Amino acid sequence: MPRIAGVDIPDNKPAGIALRYIHGIGPTSAAQICEKARIDPHIRAKKLSEEELSRVASILDSDYVIEGQLRRQLQQNVARLRDIQCYRGLRHRRGLPVRGQRTRTNARTRKGPKKTVAGKRSVKEMR
Amino acid sequence: MTRSAKKGPYVDEKLFRKVQRMEESRRREPIQTWARACTIVPEFIGHTFMVHNGKTFHKVLVAEDMVGHKLGEFSPTRTFRGHHAGARR
Repeated sequence: MPRIAGVDIPDNKPAGIALRYIHGIGPTSAAQICEKARIDPHIRAKKLSEEELSRVASILDSDYVIEGQLRRQLQQNVARLRDIQCYRGLRHRRGLPVRGQRTRTNARTRKGPKKTVAGKRSVKEMR
Repeated sequence: MTRSAKKGPYVDEKLFRKVQRMEESRRREPIQTWARACTIVPEFIGHTFMVHNGKTFHKVLVAEDMVGHKLGEFSPTRTFRGHHAGARR
């Protein structure tokens, strides 16, 4: 089982797909990495040689922010917004959508499961 | 759509001049302003602005982290007083 970037052990998938199991690596960066490390993206991850793996690891190290470091970075960005009392920070604190979406309906990703309120008109009634 | 880089950040000229005058005379008084769309530039750090929110002036002390944001972002225009007591959270 190949081991790249600490704990990530993508396995029986083509190298170009397996790399995407690393947090912070999507389709685009996976393709870029394969090209840079001169790896055929269609070859299975377990068939990669030690040398190829180390090439991938060094590319990840130098050019990409991944895993814990990426998570920390995102969290710091949000923490900064919260600290400075700006509108986006306030929305983060409240757990409401940050980019101006409607909240009368939808916005369930940010607001979580529905909390039913007695007497509230449903969308159908509003029409 | 973001603002064209060619134009540079939007800074309210009158407000900027006022800050410069204050800087020269070493005063740090709150500046009342309606220029909510004005970008905060490094020159504003440490100054206090009273930013209009449509009703009253909201006091904003500009810190380093605020550079690049607009003054209006720090002066909320809506008040949310919460839902009635029976509402679950």
